[in-house]
Amino acid sequence: MASVSKELLHTIAEALAQVPVDPTDLLSIGAQLGAQLDGLAKLDDLDLQSVEPATVILPPTGAPHGR
Amino acid sequence: MAADELTLLSIAEAGERLRRRTLSPVELTRAYLARIQAEDGAARCYITVLQDQALAAAAEAEQEIAGGGYRGPLHGIPIALKDLVMTRGIRTTCGSRILKDWVPDADATVAARLTEAGAILLGKLNMHEFAYGPTGVNPHYGTPVNPWGRDRMPGGSSSGSGAAVATGLCAGALGTDTGGSVRIPASLCGIVGLKPTYGRVSRAGVIPLAWSLDHIGPMTRTVTDTALLLQALAGHDPADPSTAAIAVPDYRRALDGDARGLRVGIVREVFFERLNPDVRAAVEGAVRALEGLGVRVEEIRLPRIHHAGPATFAIITAESMAYHEPYLKTRASEYGADVRARLLTGQFVLATQYLKAQRARQVLRAEVDGVLTTVDALLLPTTPIPAPRTDEREATVDGAREDVRAWLTRCTRPINLTGHPALSVPCGLTADGLPVGLQLVGRHFDEATLLRLGRAYETVSPLRDRRPSLPA
Repeated sequence: MASVSKELLHTIAEALAQVPVDPTDLLSIGAQLGAQLDGLAKLDDLDLQSVEPATVILPPTGAPHGR
Repeated sequence: MAADELTLLSIAEAGERLRRRTLSPVELTRAYLARIQAEDGAARCYITVLQDQALAAAAEAEQEIAGGGYRGPLHGIPIALKDLVMTRGIRTTCGSRILKDWVPDADATVAARLTEAGAILLGKLNMHEFAYGPTGVNPHYGTPVNPWGRDRMPGGSSSGSGAAVATGLCAGALGTDTGGSVRIPASLCGIVGLKPTYGRVSRAGVIPLAWSLDHIGPMTRTVTDTALLLQALAGHDPADPSTAAIAVPDYRRALDGDARGLRVGIVREVFFERLNPDVRAAVEGAVRALEGLGVRVEEIRLPRIHHAGPATFAIITAESMAYHEPYLKTRASEYGADVRARLLTGQFVLATQYLKAQRARQVLRAEVDGVLTTVDALLLPTTPIPAPRTDEREATVDGAREDVRAWLTRCTRPINLTGHPALSVPCGLTADGLPVGLQLVGRHFDEATLLRLGRAYETVSPLRDRRPSLPA
């Protein structure tokens, strides 16, 4: 499992995402990310250069919480 | 028949009595409401019970049927909806504190279709907060009780749906499934759950978790009942552009065929690794039972399917964070701690990782499509472990210790990524008396073959006619 520092996460949250994060949540967030980073890096093994991303169908406007 | 026994009839059985007018919708609805009143204080399946509205709808159905206006097999059947399905004039909380008082001014398409079919809405069901978790543990409304083990998780996120159907608190329910949230509670609560093909059932008016992974599906006590609900739900909806304009077959007719000659593929990698021994034994028993029905079972390979886990992680975290960001900026403290941390993780997933995951999805979908040209369905466990205790955070199998959320979703979320239909059918009990689910995965838009296979298996399943010991 990759190690992700709480300080790094805090900086990204504050400076880039601009979403305040309670420091108590950072430990859990770091663990979730750390468990997946190796697997995310290995997606390159799939030889994706000739593959387009799956289309995401966006929800129509009109419903405040739904589609 | 005693009122309490009416609540254990299948939809098909109750529907036949309603059609023949040997049972009235009011009598049946009263029986369910009485059971809810007696049991739900402890069972915690419902967030909102619609007693007066349900009785009024039942009286209307009774009049219609008496007047020759029988609409079909759901007419007069009491059902319930996971509380993220929008219902006009009825609060829709999404299992959250943030939406605890939100009352939509329109029905979701699936709610409207069930109403058109004559179903009676008993209420709105408890769930994992904002559908983001497979355990069903909810800090705001309590955790629904799994009737097979009262200290055990019901599974999530459609926890109230699974527990209510298993407990006899509704005849059938709708759940939603982004990483397994229909199939996991179906497996843990010993009922049938179907995640239809992506694009088969409209999601218009259903609060999203992750747009490109969300599915809506029926949860019932029998495969036949799942077919009946799917019949009412399936089909193109202009309000949801992801739905496909593909003809909807007669699912009930599909149940008539036997399974002889169908070909089923077992995928060992990922899905059969590190299984609880009782789960393995139950699923292997299901393989033998299917072979006894004339099904040809063969081993097949999906060598790249292990990439599905990280790809799904990138998509679900990024999409859910995108939806929830406005709330997280201003009302973060109103989320439960586990869901808040999972949502916030999405802001640390790179855009390139998200897009790579959506590209990987095409590769994995093609791989599954490829094997489904040689077999009619894949056979997998639904969950590698039975229902954990509600206070359990990690579980160990074959010496591997992991978060229970990772265990519970391992066999289901790859199928959200590929969009194929998947049916969970009960296939046995562990030594502790906990249900085990068998998962069947079919070709896109071929739910009919899954239902046929599932129905055939159900007739020989060791769990046929077995119910949890319910309070009298």
